[in-house]
Amino acid sequence: MPDWLNALLGPGFADALAYITNGKHFAWYGAFRFTILAGIFGAALALVFGLMGAAAKNARFWPLRQLGNLYTSIVRGVPDVLFFLFFPLAFEQAVEAFLARSRCTAEAIAANPGVWPPCPDANWILGTWEYLALACVSLGIIYGAFAASVIHGAMRAVPQGQLEAARAFGMSRRQVMWRIHVRQMWIYALPGLSNVWLILVKATSLLSLLQIADIVMWADRLGTPNFLTQVGFLHGDWRWRYYFVLFVFYILVTFASERGFRALTRWAGRGMLSADR
Amino acid sequence: MKKLLAAAAIVALTGTAANAQQIRLGTEGAYAPWNFMNDAGEVDGFEIELGNTICERAGLDCVWVTNEWDSIIPNLMAGNYDAIMAGMSITEERMQSIDFSEDYYPPDPSVFLMAADASFDFDNLSGVRIGVQTSTIQAGYAEENFADGNTILSYETADQAVADLSAGNIDMVMLDPPYLQPIADGSGGALKIDGPAIPIGGGVGIGLRKADDDLETTFNATLDELKADGTLDALISKWFDTGPFYSEM
Repeated sequence: MPDWLNALLGPGFADALAYITNGKHFAWYGAFRFTILAGIFGAALALVFGLMGAAAKNARFWPLRQLGNLYTSIVRGVPDVLFFLFFPLAFEQAVEAFLARSRCTAEAIAANPGVWPPCPDANWILGTWEYLALACVSLGIIYGAFAASVIHGAMRAVPQGQLEAARAFGMSRRQVMWRIHVRQMWIYALPGLSNVWLILVKATSLLSLLQIADIVMWADRLGTPNFLTQVGFLHGDWRWRYYFVLFVFYILVTFASERGFRALTRWAGRGMLSADR
Repeated sequence: MKKLLAAAAIVALTGTAANAQQIRLGTEGAYAPWNFMNDAGEVDGFEIELGNTICERAGLDCVWVTNEWDSIIPNLMAGNYDAIMAGMSITEERMQSIDFSEDYYPPDPSVFLMAADASFDFDNLSGVRIGVQTSTIQAGYAEENFADGNTILSYETADQAVADLSAGNIDMVMLDPPYLQPIADGSGGALKIDGPAIPIGGGVGIGLRKADDDLETTFNATLDELKADGTLDALISKWFDTGPFYSEM
């Protein structure tokens, strides 16, 4: 920094700048990518699961319809934190159980009874990226169930007259489905989906439960009081400052989402008669 | 589904094959000066330097993994890492589920941190709010001896307990002196260590899975070497200033 700027801003500013640009803070800034990736891929998967769930709930084949209903009622009923903990662990152990069948000899299993995995060779070590992938799938399954209900409702909200008119024009079942039904469904689904998206964004703050060093974990680490010069800059309990930055981040994401969904609603409603445009 | 599992199997296979000789060391990263995150955002501290020294002497390729204290023993047993170096005292209770190397920090009595103007009658403590870290030897001791008439609050990290003490939400924190002493010294006279020193725990050791006898032998041999040539004492004096030293025993 040039001297004149230093003189203008005072020595405190240079110190503060050095503090918020140290490696620990960069690790925190870098951790935002985990949250953003989890939001984007979690939402994409939630939309896929939501469409599949809604299709299942709408199916004429009875067992498939029941499967769709079972999915939405079970997953919506289980607390998301619980499911977030349950699914990655269950998946990891299922993979390890599968590996154990081919890799563990009977002697190896007998050598350490009562431990998991049955033998060290069957151990699947998960790093941050593996956990992140599992977190995205968990978010997709949880919020896919909500999205499925929203989309299912929106499908039913499309006026029957539109579908009848399409059939009267001689469209095939598939054409009615894609050109009229799904096409008009979005305008009814978007308000609900925007809600699901915002809840999903909030749930990205749970990543630290899966040993991912995410923004919440780093905010905690950076904010706890430090009394040791060996550790770095000495300060009191600053957690609220770091949590405040997270508040601001999530609020900005919310504002941006609202604008985005307004644009999407305009797009989905193009060419449709509607009072509120 | 089969294809997916096979793909996962291949990923896992290559993953473990590449790391066959790598020893994964688990730590908490929130218990300065034992282990903490330095300004560069990397794990640092007494145990990090000691662990790296042990691995270098023993010719092992080691990497550090951070894990929350709460689940540090279950995740060792689940194989997420091969050894724990996280200021963990050797106790009978823990020995039922895991093994320990010999100690690398001698037994050190636990102490209490409190506000500088506070004073308590430790012979009949009552109505006091005591902060401890979950699943520590101090937490066990406090539950056994102070639970009657006092409130015991368990925190996930030691830092959180101290933060709550500074905020005046609790009356005292019970933990290891190497963690609490620098906090009292660095608090500018706001906090002090007072009350009895309570001898619990059998020193700090490396936690290992019961089946990993070879690793335990390697660690013990290297620790013996480091104790004999004064390297370990030098590390203790570097990170804790004072401390019980092995040369004095």
